[in-house]
Amino acid sequence: MTTEETLANGSTYIHRTSAHCETGVTSALFRDKGLDISEPMIFGIGSGIFFGHLPFIKQTGLPISTFRSIPGLVFKKAAKRLGVKVFRKRFRNQQKGMDELRRVIGTGQIVAVTTNVYWLSFFPRRYRFNFSGHNFIVLYENENGFRISDPALLEYTTDCSTEDMERARFARGPMEPRGLMYYPISINPHPDIRKACIIGMQDTCKQMLGIPIPLFGIKGMRYVAKKIVKWPEKLGYVEACRQLAHILRLQEEMGTGGAGFRYIFAAFLQEAGELFGSTELNDLSNEMTAIGDIWREFAVVSSRIIKQRKTKSEETFEKASGLMMICAGREEELFKNLRDVAGKLKS
Amino acid sequence: MKVNEVPQDDVPDYSEGIKKGNYALDDNGKYVMVPSKGWVVDEMINRMAYDEYKAKEEETRKAVLAGQKSPLAYYMELRQMTPEILGKTAGIAAFRVKRHLRPAIFARLKSSVLEAYAKALAITTEDLMTVPKNPRER
Repeated sequence: MTTEETLANGSTYIHRTSAHCETGVTSALFRDKGLDISEPMIFGIGSGIFFGHLPFIKQTGLPISTFRSIPGLVFKKAAKRLGVKVFRKRFRNQQKGMDELRRVIGTGQIVAVTTNVYWLSFFPRRYRFNFSGHNFIVLYENENGFRISDPALLEYTTDCSTEDMERARFARGPMEPRGLMYYPISINPHPDIRKACIIGMQDTCKQMLGIPIPLFGIKGMRYVAKKIVKWPEKLGYVEACRQLAHILRLQEEMGTGGAGFRYIFAAFLQEAGELFGSTELNDLSNEMTAIGDIWREFAVVSSRIIKQRKTKSEETFEKASGLMMICAGREEELFKNLRDVAGKLKS
Repeated sequence: MKVNEVPQDDVPDYSEGIKKGNYALDDNGKYVMVPSKGWVVDEMINRMAYDEYKAKEEETRKAVLAGQKSPLAYYMELRQMTPEILGKTAGIAAFRVKRHLRPAIFARLKSSVLEAYAKALAITTEDLMTVPKNPRER
C-alpha cells in the first residue's frame, strides 16, 4: 500500500486520491512538473462542468446524460490556460504505442494513458464495463508489467500487467482510445492562475447558457426533466426505471465527487473566492453546494422509484422531474450571476 | 453536503476495498476531499447494469447448450462486445461475425479464423469450442 514511488530518474512521485479520473490525472501530471494545483482548480479552469443529453449516442442501448464536458477537453483547456506545453498522441500501430510509452517512462517522465475499463484486472469486478474513457498514470516498468497510479480509484499505487495495458489501451469499439497517451512537456512554474480562472469561468457560463441547441446546458436539463415525466407512460414502468438509473450512474456512480460534479465545482468557486478575495464567488460556491444537495435529493428520490419498480411507488416520476427542474432554474440563475461576477474580476 | 453526510455504507461485494472521493464541507465550511466506503444508491444502480449483462450472458449460454447459437456468441457476450466490436478486434467483418454466431457455420470455420477470435477474446481456441456447463457464479 505505497503512496510514494521513485521514478526511473530517481525523482519522487506522491500518489493522492481524487474524485474524478481526468482531473485527478491532470492535477498529478502538473504537480509532478512543479505546479501544485488542486483537482477542483483544474476542473474549474478546464471548464469541466456541463450538462448534455445525447440521445444519439447509446451506452448499453440507453441515451447518455452527461454532467461533464467531452473527455479529454478538461486536460486540453486547463493546459492551454495555464501555459502548459503538452505531448498528446494516439497510435495506429500497437507496438509503436507500447514502445513509446516504455521509452518515455524510462526517462522518468510520468505518462497518462486512456484505457478501456473492462480489461483492467486491478479494477473491482463490478466496475469492469466496456467503457473506453478511464485515465490513469503510468509510473515505471517493473517485473509485473507497469507500476501505475490511479488517483480516482485507489488510495495507493498498484501494478498493471503488460497484457492488460495493451488490451485496455487498444480496445476497439465506441470511443476507441487508440493508445492515447499524454503528458506535459514544459510548465510555466508561475502561471497567471487568476487569468486562467476568469477564462475558465466565462467559458463555463457560455457552455451552460449559450449553446443554441436544446440538448445542452440548462436547456438540456429542462429537456430531460420534461421527458422524465412522460417515460412511465411511453416506455413502461420498468424501462423508465432503467433510463432513470442510467442518469444516476453518470451522476453519482462514475466518480464525480458527488452530485454530478456540482460539489467539485463548488469547491473550485470556493478556492477561487479565496484567490480573488471575492465574497461574491464565495456566495456562488454556497449556492452551488445547495444546488448539489438538490441533485443529491434527485438521486435519492429516483433510487426509491427504481427500488419499488415492481410495486406501487410512493415517490413519483413527477417529483424527480420537478427536482431536476429546480436544479435547472437555480443553475441558470447561478451561471448568469457568475458571468457578471467573472466579468468584473481583475486578473 | 457536509463531511458527516458523505455516505459510508457497507456494500459487500461491490467496492472491494476501493474508496470513492467525494467533496464535502467541513465544520469550518471549507471544501475537503472525503473518501467514501460506498453508497447504497451507487450499489443498486451498478447492480442493475451488471445484472443486465449477466442475464444476457446466461441466456446465451443456455442457447448455446440448446444448439441455437455457437459458443462464439457466449464469449462475445462475456466480453461485453457486439458483433461490430468483436469484428474490429479480431479483424473480421461484422457481417461475417454475425454468420459465425450460427452453430452450423461456426463448426466449419478454419483454424486461422478461430485463432483470430480466441486472441480477440483473450481465451484459448479449446475454450472457444465449448461453453461452461454451469452458470458463472459471480
